Amino acid sequence: MSIALFVLRRLGRGVFTIWFAVTVTFLLLRLLPGDPALAVASPNMTEETRAALLTQYGLDQPLIIQYFIYLGRLVTGDLGTSFTQSIPVVDVLLQRLPWTLVLTASALVLTVLLGIPLGVLAASRRGKAMDRFVQILGVTGQSLFVPSVGIALLLLFGLWLRWLPIGGAYDDAVYGVAWYGSVLQHLLLPALSLTLIQLGSYVLTVRATLIDALGDDYVTLAKANGLSPRRILWKHALRNALLPATTLIGLQLGFLVGGAVLTETVFAYPGIGRGIYEAVTQLDFPVLQGAFLLLAVTVVVANMLTDIVYGFLDPRVKTA
Amino acid sequence: MRKRYPLLAGVAAIAVLALSACAPEAPPAATSTSTAKAGTDTLNIATTTDVVNYNPLVGNSRSDYWVSNLMYPHLLSMNEDGDRIPEVATDWGYVDETTGFYEIRDDMKWSDGEPLTAEDVAYTLNATKKDKPAGTLYGQLANMDSAEAVSKTRVEMKLSKPDASIVEGIGFWGNIVPQHVFEKAGSVAEFANDGSDGGWVSAGPFVLTKVQVGQSYTMDRVEDYPIVKGGTPIPAKVVYRVYPDVNAEILALQSGAVDAIANALPPAQVEQLKNTAGIKVEESTGLGYAHMTYNMDNPDLAKVEVRQALAHAADYDAIRKVVLQGQAVSTGSSPLMEVHGDYYDKSIKEYDFDVDKSRSLMEKAGYTADANGNFPVSFRLIYSLQDSVTSQWVQLVKDSAAKAGITIELQGTERNTYLAMTNAGDYDIYAGNFAIMEDPVTNMVLSYLPGGAINYTHVDDPELNDLINTASTSADEKERVKLMREAAQIVHEKVYDNIMYSQQLYFAHSDKWTGFVSKPSELLSIVNPVSLASASKTAK
Repeated sequence: MSIALFVLRRLGRGVFTIWFAVTVTFLLLRLLPGDPALAVASPNMTEETRAALLTQYGLDQPLIIQYFIYLGRLVTGDLGTSFTQSIPVVDVLLQRLPWTLVLTASALVLTVLLGIPLGVLAASRRGKAMDRFVQILGVTGQSLFVPSVGIALLLLFGLWLRWLPIGGAYDDAVYGVAWYGSVLQHLLLPALSLTLIQLGSYVLTVRATLIDALGDDYVTLAKANGLSPRRILWKHALRNALLPATTLIGLQLGFLVGGAVLTETVFAYPGIGRGIYEAVTQLDFPVLQGAFLLLAVTVVVANMLTDIVYGFLDPRVKTA
Repeated sequence: MRKRYPLLAGVAAIAVLALSACAPEAPPAATSTSTAKAGTDTLNIATTTDVVNYNPLVGNSRSDYWVSNLMYPHLLSMNEDGDRIPEVATDWGYVDETTGFYEIRDDMKWSDGEPLTAEDVAYTLNATKKDKPAGTLYGQLANMDSAEAVSKTRVEMKLSKPDASIVEGIGFWGNIVPQHVFEKAGSVAEFANDGSDGGWVSAGPFVLTKVQVGQSYTMDRVEDYPIVKGGTPIPAKVVYRVYPDVNAEILALQSGAVDAIANALPPAQVEQLKNTAGIKVEESTGLGYAHMTYNMDNPDLAKVEVRQALAHAADYDAIRKVVLQGQAVSTGSSPLMEVHGDYYDKSIKEYDFDVDKSRSLMEKAGYTADANGNFPVSFRLIYSLQDSVTSQWVQLVKDSAAKAGITIELQGTERNTYLAMTNAGDYDIYAGNFAIMEDPVTNMVLSYLPGGAINYTHVDDPELNDLINTASTSADEKERVKLMREAAQIVHEKVYDNIMYSQQLYFAHSDKWTGFVSKPSELLSIVNPVSLASASKTAK
């Protein structure tokens, strides 16, 4: 199969997945118990006010009509208007998206930068104390709860040591280079928190796949040919072991966004995860639909890129 | 590494680019406009939620209210005893049974220089009546036909029927909005008022100047605010900072990142913060109450003896001591609280916790206990899982009812489901709380008249209806007090409502700031406009 056809097929799958996600999101939101008018207005409102609000939101139409109106607008790039804020959903999302991108990208990079050496360390010392230590760290990491880790980090670095700020994404009244410094300072704790939560599974995956790779015939051959253990480990075995780990990165993006909701809440970080939580409490359907669409596109694109990268890393994939 | 991780490098690059788009530009150097009395300090206040809507006629969240209140004044405010006091209005009342009036100050201005006149007040009321925005004010206008500015400082309202509470209700709940800004937007129900067309104007002590969504809301001082002593607010800026997690919010106060917390402290945190160096905790009277209502559409609960049995099967004192840590007071199981002044009736006593009495009432209602002492009834009690205090006390209610042989099944749900179930009457027992029940007559109309928006008992008692209807049209305060006391007696005797307690509220601020003016309720507390305009840094 040619590379062009391979990429086209992945693109087609991506578009289908996004349409499916959009449809499921639309229907699921309308199945939620509760009434958007009640979530927005005072409980003392009259039935007349409620009816007026539902008309204003377009929720007085039959579900199928609402769906096609929504799809029709979507293809023209119109994500609708927020029920509660009365501003376009695109504006709501764009205000928050950059911060979530920064947070999740930092956590992803940190996870890989820490995860690969730790996984290699454990696999190359299989059964020894270092391996056990890394495994314990990995399992512990998987069982950590974001709010507990977050508050512990804030208490230690924010209140007791006073090294890092408590909450927000940057300080007021700082500009230019100082602003970037402030962003980095505010980013450290939430990114570290998110990294700690997902590092465990990544380290354990790298370790397990590397141990498998180290038992393969080509490794035995490399040893017989006199290659140094370091070269065998880093140049040959790790390259093959990283294929499943690369897939895991794509999959973890979805997990990262889920983790971002809690992380952004604890660290008062102004990202889209918190926006989703607030929109859920207010049953703000247009914002939720827009946010989930955005997330679906992000995850699909990330997975598509992972697939394509995978195709380059492993030629067998393209012809499969 | 670069070869193997183009995806990572790409993600990082996108993130950095996205970040660059957020980088602010330095503002031009400001010229100081502070007066001798006004300071140069910034007061940082923590809140748990973002501002959802900047239009005070629509906004409903606490942060919406706190920020809007600093820009769009009310006709009336409230003192610490719960009495209505002047804000923009200097006098108010009734011309006749169906005409209300407000006389307003003549020295108020919007921050863009336009005067605040009776035209703004009349416009606010008429536009709200016409466009039906979702906020609290519209609910107050049920009996108002129209409003008219009869002079620059007097507004008169035509009522569709006599309503003794409407003038104070509108005055207390309604923010005045600038006609010259809101009129251009068309419908006030759909106007975002997000400052996108040149910023905000304010007739309060501060004006919103900078919004960092999800992070902070910066408000600059308005130099001319005649309602505060001295005529100028003291802090140069007020910044609301958002900390969705209450623990992080408290850490921010302790670390000095913020100077005050706007929302009331959770009961479990009050004692600890009272004993924390550098923190002061202010007490404020609660204007609301927590309660249980028994759905009379259920045939068992339609029997007064069953409702009485349930009322005697709860240990109110234990709830206040254990769950509220002593930070709540009894209202005598009455909807009239001490903060209601003359309306409060000391002779109404709280239902005593008496399991034997409860059992005997069940037997009187015709039920016989089985060999285990349990009566053949089971009631489903709904509550919101987001309400941590109620979530705790309903467990105590269930346990104590079990001792009386009455089974209660708890059904905690997330808030939106809870609201929908409440609205549909899908419960046997409703447990929850009302934040502000400041006007006894309005409360009784909404809570106990058939069709009342919060008549969760579904009660329709002719004697009670008569008392409430008469009080709601009576212009005579003494008569209203008498009628409401009689109504409260009936509510108590027949257990049309079971008021558990009125919670005292506690607010924390840094001891580096002083001069806050505390008012009742979480909405006003220490973050009301006069309080923030009067706050100053302590001299050290």
